[in-house]
Amino acid sequence: MSNLLINYIQVGAVVLFGIGFMILLLNNNLIKKIIGMNIMDTSIFLLFISIGFIHGKEAPIIVGGKFHINGYVNPIPTGLMLTGIVVAVSVTSFMLALTIKYYEKFGTIELDEINAIKKNNN
Amino acid sequence: MKLISLTLLNVTSSSISKINTLELIPLLTIMILMMGAFIVPILKNKKNVYKISLAIFSLVFIMNLVNLVNVINNGIFMFTIGHFSAPFGIVFRIDYIESIIGLLFSFVMLMIVWYSMYSLEKEIKVKRVSFFYTLNLLLLASLLGIIYTYDIFNGFVFLEVSTLAACGIIIAKDKKTNIKAALKYLILSTLGSGLVLMGIAFLYSITGHLSMEFIHDELVKSAASNQNIILISLILFTVGLGIKGAMFPLHIWLPDAHSSAPSPSSAILSALVIKAPIIFMIKIFYMVYGKNIIQGTVILNILLIFGSLGMIMGSVFARRQKELKRMIAYSSVAQMGYIFFGIGLGNELGLLMAVYHIIAHAVTKSSLFLAVGSIIEQTGFKKIDDIKGIGKEMPVTLAIFSISAFSMIGIPVLPGFISKWNLSLASIETGKLYLLAIILLSSLLNAAYYFPIIINGYFGEDNLDGKVFRSKSKPIKELMPLIILSVIMILTGFFSGKIIELIKFGSYF
Repeated sequence: MSNLLINYIQVGAVVLFGIGFMILLLNNNLIKKIIGMNIMDTSIFLLFISIGFIHGKEAPIIVGGKFHINGYVNPIPTGLMLTGIVVAVSVTSFMLALTIKYYEKFGTIELDEINAIKKNNN
Repeated sequence: MKLISLTLLNVTSSSISKINTLELIPLLTIMILMMGAFIVPILKNKKNVYKISLAIFSLVFIMNLVNLVNVINNGIFMFTIGHFSAPFGIVFRIDYIESIIGLLFSFVMLMIVWYSMYSLEKEIKVKRVSFFYTLNLLLLASLLGIIYTYDIFNGFVFLEVSTLAACGIIIAKDKKTNIKAALKYLILSTLGSGLVLMGIAFLYSITGHLSMEFIHDELVKSAASNQNIILISLILFTVGLGIKGAMFPLHIWLPDAHSSAPSPSSAILSALVIKAPIIFMIKIFYMVYGKNIIQGTVILNILLIFGSLGMIMGSVFARRQKELKRMIAYSSVAQMGYIFFGIGLGNELGLLMAVYHIIAHAVTKSSLFLAVGSIIEQTGFKKIDDIKGIGKEMPVTLAIFSISAFSMIGIPVLPGFISKWNLSLASIETGKLYLLAIILLSSLLNAAYYFPIIINGYFGEDNLDGKVFRSKSKPIKELMPLIILSVIMILTGFFSGKIIELIKFGSYF
């Protein structure tokens, strides 16, 4: 239990991941699915950055060729997450474009409505 | 400060050492493909699009061939990109398996692209042809990247690129079903890549590295104290890559996506796109975690169970389909089951056969999909019942279909037989004899849905009534890539000993 309290950032990240995952999986509205995907990805970014963060250290930016006395936080997770954000943004935009196409073809963005319409037609 | 000086040191020391020009090939192929992806869409003349993309794919194929010869002669090598060595920079590790799979992917892609030159415009709008080739170039680049890379985060980025490009070649057709299928694929794939990224985050939190070699070293040191995290990250990787690789209960996106896409895309999706995540999975299992850690967990047994389920249920579902392409898509699920089964056996022969079956299935399924594509294109029939007597109208195409189907069923000498035979041997080796029954049952089920098509196609009085010999067959020039693919498929069976030996050299086991 105390472990959960000490690592509260990680716990929060995993809880957020679960929320995003369930929204992406269970919701029928496409826009809500995209929001769920973004929550999921953001939770992973949070987890990654919390791994690299060290209390009391500076941001890893060197000004004027002088190194800071306190030392720096680990810059690699932050750098990785820049790439992760780019990936998430491109997937989001692609999904939004597909959603527009879906709306043009079917006239709705609810995935279950389509099945209901099909059943009524049969 | 230490970090920066260390990097600088590495730069100076490695730039002094000379690089063999042949070792540049893996990086160069990816760069050429990516540059080609930028050149193709700005070309105005449609003929140039075909010519240039075919030229690029041929060049990549030849370069991969040279690479394989180089690896056979000089052994495994590591290639550091931009002279930044392992913990900080990205490294490619070119092993025997990597170079064989790279050659396979570029060969199959070349054949499919060659075939698509004659038939693509009948399926998608002329305006979209150049974009289709752009996506194909990007797709091959990302797949080769997944195979070559020795850095898990780099692998993840390439995995995402391949997902987006694969979605692109599904929706090239712009029909209702395509958009629905692509959305389904994209949603499940994002779930999968989210899980993979979470797995990487867990691994990074206990090891502090992204290079596979360094993670492995750290994991071996601290395996005993981190068992829970190791298990969690393993499950995340397995499920995430299992979604992308169509592991049985997670395969639900595959039939829609593969059956609705234009037939060259279905061939690419079935032969290549679902294979790369599996190679990545094998790499993660045996290069990152290592044999000892993997065999101490339950993950291999889980893979074995899901693989067996896929082998049987995939065939059962395929038997029930009425559409030809959908049936073949479900057959892919069954064949992926064999690969997961091979990995799940957990011994060396099983792993070898998983890799061999990747090769066998890529060659077989691509020719199967292209043959079906040309049948649908010439007759306009999609249902299995409608194409009775097709053997008289399109004898060559159905012959290619039959050879590939025989390989799927497991007729001796053909590659499908070799992998089934060796998988049986591998399961005897592990002492689990009941697995033989699963392999046998799955083979019988395969025969149950492939044979009726072949028999109804060639024989039967009422089937052949009113059919004119060769009335719908394509010119031999357009069938050339298909014929080459099936010849290579038969050769893969004939020279299976050689291929398996080569895979064994670079075995991760």
